[in-house]
Amino acid sequence: MSDTMQKPVASFFPAIRLDEVDGALAKEIKEECGVDVELCLECGKCSGGCSNGHIFDYTPRKIVQLIKLGEKQRLLHMDALWTCVSCQLCWDRCPSEINVARVMDYLREQTYRENVSPTRKEVALFHELMLGSVERIGRVAETRLVLEFNFKTKQYTKDTDLGPKMFFKGKLNPFSSGIKKIEEVRQIFRKNPLRKEV
Amino acid sequence: MSDRAQKTALVIGGGIAGLEAALTITGAGHQVVLVEKSPQLGGTTRELYSSFPHWENPAELLQGKIDEVQKAGVQLRIGFEVISSQKQGDIYQVVLEGPEQKREELVADAVVVATGFELFDVSAYGEYGYGSYPGVVNTLEFESRLREWAKGESKEAPPKTVAFIKCVGSRDRSKGYPYCSKICCMITAKQAGLVKEIWPDARCHVFYMDYRAAGKGYEEFVRSVIEEKHVRYTRGRPAKILPEDGRLLIRTEDTLMGVPVEIRADMVVLAAAMQPGRGTVEMSRIFALNTDEYGFLEPVSGQAARVGERVFAAGGCIFPVENQGALQQGAAAGAGVVALFNQAR
Repeated sequence: MSDTMQKPVASFFPAIRLDEVDGALAKEIKEECGVDVELCLECGKCSGGCSNGHIFDYTPRKIVQLIKLGEKQRLLHMDALWTCVSCQLCWDRCPSEINVARVMDYLREQTYRENVSPTRKEVALFHELMLGSVERIGRVAETRLVLEFNFKTKQYTKDTDLGPKMFFKGKLNPFSSGIKKIEEVRQIFRKNPLRKEV
Repeated sequence: MSDRAQKTALVIGGGIAGLEAALTITGAGHQVVLVEKSPQLGGTTRELYSSFPHWENPAELLQGKIDEVQKAGVQLRIGFEVISSQKQGDIYQVVLEGPEQKREELVADAVVVATGFELFDVSAYGEYGYGSYPGVVNTLEFESRLREWAKGESKEAPPKTVAFIKCVGSRDRSKGYPYCSKICCMITAKQAGLVKEIWPDARCHVFYMDYRAAGKGYEEFVRSVIEEKHVRYTRGRPAKILPEDGRLLIRTEDTLMGVPVEIRADMVVLAAAMQPGRGTVEMSRIFALNTDEYGFLEPVSGQAARVGERVFAAGGCIFPVENQGALQQGAAAGAGVVALFNQAR
């Protein structure tokens, strides 16, 4: 982990040197996500309709703009990464078909790869537990996921009312069985490890 | 005099609009005298290296029109200016002055004014340093630079970074005009695209408030410059150009982010506003023409080209216009003259 990664990013912007923006981030996003930020019309339709935009530090249009400006560290440290619910309304409505949700996914992966700690640790934990369940049994074991999450976040009594009700209505299976070809799922995880081998 | 067998129209200005007007009038069997004050026909179009939205060389269009005009028997008065005119009934008695104060009088049954626009003097902006920093040029100066580069006539090293500032004198109540000069967005996109074509490794940055591409194929043209030629558009109106180590430092804001940005460039192109030229102001006085508050000619309400008694206008003297628009307006003014002449028959 490099030192620069954990440095807090100032909320103000020192002047960005446009002649030093080399376009590497835009290129990376194009190659990794298939998203070409040069197509952006800067109209703001993504931001206006974003389901969580009201609590984003950077709204989707600004995220695209930050990619153009090569501000990778700012993007990796932004809070919006952990409040985006991947509803894809931005992508659905974009006149240039820019898939901001895909970019958000990619940036979240990058925070893992570059060991940037998420601004919302519980969100990252939830992602981790959910993916852990998939890796273990090939599907999400909801009951265990909820219990694990509540336990790890010390919310011991959370969902104690709702849980039994859902169980008796048949909405919650306490014993999720694994899938048959679990080895194939695990292969996927092995091929694409989120964390670098230390 | 109005029953003279053959009528003569006076066309003032030998740019693309004037040439087209002359062709339309001679095409209908009338006489045309075309006056051009500069030593060559072609007007502003002659100064252009390329055009939008098809990257065509306007020299070909222009030469074609000049050849046609010569074939059509248009009487050319190159190097001449209209210095006075007197209206007597349905005719104008016009005095021309040519090289060595040579005077010539003629009778015109109608007049087409096609005196074009001129560039706003961008040295009005002290903050941009035009006239002080050699790397800061205006639209037409850069156009000839592009021609030299493309033909390999320039001995300068290729620029690493070229920046374009739009709306210099346009949309500015303080130092320029409140109006939008309409064609600078397209010219800038074209010029930035050409830089990338000639010097693919050069960086090209355009600073804009918005880009106005209202024309057939225009939006696609600008988008292709951004998306395929990778010209970077940054929204913001630069505040200041400073010299720095032999280069030019531009300070502005990226208004989409609300953050300050700066850039070092070797050359800065100011997209100058377009204003009525001296010739247009003179002609409006001599022929008592309708003008707007800026001095551009203003067609009579509800008419395409008529700006006075038996006087029609076309091209940049009405408002900044591109080649295609000038061509259409030239034809409209010519048609106005022909309709007038045929009515009196």
